[in-house]
Amino acid sequence: MSDRDTSNPPTEPTAKKILMLVTTGPEEPDKTYAPFYIAALMAAMEIDTTMYFLMHAPELLRKGAAEKVPLKKGGTLQQFVDMAVENGVKFLACAESCRDLCEIPPEELMDGVKLVGSATMADLALDADTVISF
Amino acid sequence: MARLEGCEFPEDRAYFIERTQWIWVKVDGDRVTIGATDPAQTRAGRILYLRIKPVGTVRERGKPVATVESGKWAGPIVAPVAGTIVEVNPEVEKNPTLLNTDPYGRGWIVRMTPSVPAELATLLPIDAALVRFREIIERDHIRCTRGST
Repeated sequence: MSDRDTSNPPTEPTAKKILMLVTTGPEEPDKTYAPFYIAALMAAMEIDTTMYFLMHAPELLRKGAAEKVPLKKGGTLQQFVDMAVENGVKFLACAESCRDLCEIPPEELMDGVKLVGSATMADLALDADTVISF
Repeated sequence: MARLEGCEFPEDRAYFIERTQWIWVKVDGDRVTIGATDPAQTRAGRILYLRIKPVGTVRERGKPVATVESGKWAGPIVAPVAGTIVEVNPEVEKNPTLLNTDPYGRGWIVRMTPSVPAELATLLPIDAALVRFREIIERDHIRCTRGST
């Protein structure tokens, strides 16, 4: 047993917020899985974790796309996307990137992805405790 | 000891099986000991890091008591019942591969005092757990192996 002061025991921690910016898409498969893995881990640590996909990264969120991204360690990106979802990571996609760069209609994004504008990213960045960029 | 596809399940435990959480629970008086099951450690692969919440932490049912990281899997180990962590396993914190090699023995993770004893009745006894594990093992094509330290 710990001899710590138990008069004020640790209870539900105040959730820290992390915003992760992801810019790489399936054109560089080796760079795709780490953001999902780290986001999944942070969410498991009860950090309020949001991934914001911009530039070519929204391609990873197109329905069926992740299972077509092979990983050197074996398997596909899909298992890491599923892990992040399961652990409660929130996915946001840049509306401008989806429309102008990736040409993804909203209905072709995987379930649970929210389309937002750049102003939302600014708000989230200011509100987060830390912003991580990949 | 019950077995499915090389996975072992001690008969003196209860089990908490929800989504990706496959946990064993051993009731001992007013305390419960909690750990990862054989299919859980197999799915994760060789555990590299294990972070356990400190003694005294109060948890609701379903909230993490530990975080596991293996390089191919990262996720929580959740409290199968609400309660307070009264003991953590310092040996498995230092050597997390014990989760792989001895998940039901030296690989135990925390001991808790349940705050809602009625929740213990929601845990699955071995027979009901084996039905669920058979479905999971077939669905995910799991065949258990024990890693080595």
